Amino acid sequence: MNVSGNRFVIFITAFILFIAGIGLNLSVGASHISFAAALKSLVVLDHSKEQLIITTLRLPRTLIAVFVGANLAVAGALMQAMSRNPLASPQLFGVNAGASLAVVASIVLFPHLNAFSSVGFALIGAATGGFIVYSFSSSGGMTPVKLALIGMAVHLFLSSFTQGIIILNESAGDVLYWMTGAIDGSNWQDVSVVLPFTIIGIGLAVIFSGAVSILGLGDETAKGLGQNTKGIKALVSILILILAGSSVAVAGPIGFVGLMVPHIVRKLAGENYKFVIPFTALFGALLLVYADVLARFIAFPYESPVGIVTAVLGTPFFLYLARKERNSR
Amino acid sequence: MKKSLHIKHPYMMIIFLFLVMIACVIISMGYGALYIAPGDVLKNLFGISGEYQFIIQKYRLARVILAVLAGAGLGVSGAILQGVIRNPLASPDVIGITKGASLAAMVVILIFPAVPLIVLPLSAFAGAGLVAVLLIIFVRKKNARPSTIALVGIALGSVCHAGMQYMMVKFPGDVNAALIWVTGSLWGRNWDEIKLLAPWLMIFLPILFFLASKLDLMSLGDELVDGLGERSARLRFILIFAAVGLAGSCVAVVGSIGFIGLIAPHIARRLVGTKSKHLLPASGLAGSIILLASDTLGRGLMPPVEIPAGILTAILGAPYFLYLLKQEARKK
Repeated sequence: MNVSGNRFVIFITAFILFIAGIGLNLSVGASHISFAAALKSLVVLDHSKEQLIITTLRLPRTLIAVFVGANLAVAGALMQAMSRNPLASPQLFGVNAGASLAVVASIVLFPHLNAFSSVGFALIGAATGGFIVYSFSSSGGMTPVKLALIGMAVHLFLSSFTQGIIILNESAGDVLYWMTGAIDGSNWQDVSVVLPFTIIGIGLAVIFSGAVSILGLGDETAKGLGQNTKGIKALVSILILILAGSSVAVAGPIGFVGLMVPHIVRKLAGENYKFVIPFTALFGALLLVYADVLARFIAFPYESPVGIVTAVLGTPFFLYLARKERNSR
Repeated sequence: MKKSLHIKHPYMMIIFLFLVMIACVIISMGYGALYIAPGDVLKNLFGISGEYQFIIQKYRLARVILAVLAGAGLGVSGAILQGVIRNPLASPDVIGITKGASLAAMVVILIFPAVPLIVLPLSAFAGAGLVAVLLIIFVRKKNARPSTIALVGIALGSVCHAGMQYMMVKFPGDVNAALIWVTGSLWGRNWDEIKLLAPWLMIFLPILFFLASKLDLMSLGDELVDGLGERSARLRFILIFAAVGLAGSCVAVVGSIGFIGLIAPHIARRLVGTKSKHLLPASGLAGSIILLASDTLGRGLMPPVEIPAGILTAILGAPYFLYLLKQEARKK
């Protein structure tokens, strides 16, 4: 089978599914809007009720699903390449927990800050959580199990602080909803917060994808091929933080996207990160767009956080990876 | 060599830990809305003076006893899980047992707030049990290696976590009470909870101490265990069952207090060595001391606000845990 032709077919199929998902995302919900009406309201200005719902509520939400899904998935792919560990993902690396803690702390300590500064806090928190886990997992011989246990323990540690803050300050309600990874309250401001990070993060990831592929071969090989591994690792770390941190800041800690998507993509499109990264971005967006549609049906007509859907989808996947890990030895 | 000195006298160390625990008990009973000097606490306990009898006997004594029991249960449970899974990072909270209990407790607190108090620990125990049963089913069926147990536990834990978040969002009734429970606290516990917890400890602890020598075998690897005439899969099943039962019953009464099961066995190992005969009692004592200290600090740090003990176990435990990780990494 012609690999590049195969890739092309997969990409086109995924893209069509993705467009369909966006249409579905725009039309399904508490008030149903037909597919055609949804598309029409994007193009024709008629100031109808449908158009109002779409432009102020659903479109920003759909865009957040797209950007956040792409961000998290690419962050996961970069992490798996850098740590050479199949279970690496923003969630397991303490990035989500760290960003959550920082954002919750900032909401409680400085209640009047805007969405932009919460990104700053999320980045600091993501960096802290990621650094703790990475600094232990990078020194060779780190098996997936060890990474999982360390990540879990760091997660428990950070989240008990978060819980403490929430318990001691009784303004818990809003923060709690955010903590589950919810995108149904997204607005245009959230879109404008995350968009620059998505463009810069994924753009640089694509540009440096060749270097990332080499990094995935291991430190010695990469050095032997003349790569400045330290520099590339530093750059990749920053990209991961930008992508994951900004996503957590606007959408809360949504788990498992960064874990699942890169595995699926590598299975479909091979190990070359030139293809893996754009595919991962597309599949991540695809996953979150459909997960968000599903989230509306769990307790219809009420919304449920999309993070719950990804957790339910992701857990069997995690188990599958755990089993595969066993068989490969 | 300081380290080998400790290991030469494990019984001395155990007695030392016991004395530290007694000291913590006495100090802990003195703290609260009304400070009682340690001397007065002692006088009261030995019946010499009846001055604070009501406070001490009705409230504080029950609370410290519960802290001792639950801390010990979690510590021993962690020591066993670390032995069985052969990984120093395993513990009831990391592999999802306490998350199962938390989810069940949260369902009770948020959906059925009117049920009698006694239902809460029972349902928490059921939740922990359910996760444990799923874990064991998976592990038995696939005849999995220890590391797979850990990963399956983490996965089950994250499902429970998602469930908890769903509950919090869907039924925002008394989220704060639910969160305090999830974090773990000894607040408002009395003799009723002791009556609930004590029988389970009396069942599980003797079984585990009886199995201590078998636990030592487990560290040798499955082939050797089988070669020595033990059935490794069955032994692992029994040990995990007991450890989970222990953790589940403790979590049921005090909430999902983290890090004790993770940290206590490490402290114990450092003090008395790796022989289970010494390690299990020492882990139990270390767990009791950590929980007592956290509970006392939680009451004393910023009165009248009481910081849940679970937050303090994390604050006390986490730096030590990171230090452990550093050492793990250096070994490589």
